[in-house]
Amino acid sequence: MSDEAAREEDRQLLERAQDGDVSAFEALVDAHRDKVYGLALRMTRSEADAAEITQDTFLSAYQHLKDFRGDAAFGSWVHRIAANHALMRLRHRRVAQAAEQELQGPEFTERGSLAEYPISDWSRDAEEKALDAELGTAIQQATDQLPQGYREVFLLKDVDGLSYEQIAETTGDSIPAIKSRLHRARLALREAIDDFYNRDSRGA
Amino acid sequence: MYNCKDSINLLLEFLDGEMSAEEAQHVKEHLRGCSPCLDFLRTYRATPGLCKKALAAKMPKEVSEKLTEYLRSKIKSAS
Ligand SMILES: [Zn+2]
Repeated sequence: MSDEAAREEDRQLLERAQDGDVSAFEALVDAHRDKVYGLALRMTRSEADAAEITQDTFLSAYQHLKDFRGDAAFGSWVHRIAANHALMRLRHRRVAQAAEQELQGPEFTERGSLAEYPISDWSRDAEEKALDAELGTAIQQATDQLPQGYREVFLLKDVDGLSYEQIAETTGDSIPAIKSRLHRARLALREAIDDFYNRDSRGA
Repeated sequence: MYNCKDSINLLLEFLDGEMSAEEAQHVKEHLRGCSPCLDFLRTYRATPGLCKKALAAKMPKEVSEKLTEYLRSKIKSAS
């Protein structure tokens, strides 16, 4: 189903759900639960938390169905609710954690040229359907190693597709701060992927 | 004239299309003459898509069954 067709179906289901049709609401839950669960799991890295966040998210969507206006997509609305729930949990957890380190970008020479040239252009692999399993693991590990604030922004924007504005509303950070973190997170992950592709050709 | 550092610092804005025409022109000019940066840009741009694939998750069946049960019980008790 195309995105547009899916959104139209959501709109119709939503209208019925707003009129009290519980089965229409359940159909909406079916259509969006994987994405909501995925967001929560990536953010919290805990299956138990992710399951609870998914429950909380759809319950609060149900309780606020009447307030929801059809001008945004149902999917992006529940995504925002889920992001809020996930961040609340993370904020609780973070209290005891040490101050966050800064992420370094690539190295440059004194004249501002790239110190290390990319050896291979692996960008085409992104277009292929299946992902190499080892690369997948390398990416998961690299994402886990990002400092929390960078990880959150990267996951919300690049993996879950929230807008800068939505992330700013959820996290309370400014948009320039969000963009700067996102950029650094992408640089770090790009480097991790690049290292993976060059693992045999560099400094063995 | 931008160097690699200037251009790479601005990649996000450049790809978002959110910079002045003049700045964008500077970045383009650098990219035209610098193939390492061009490769850098391509791989930077491909990074989110690869990560998205690597981090995809599906809800386990038991969890989705529990979710349905949970919502039904809450919805019933509310009505
Ligand atoms: Zn360059």
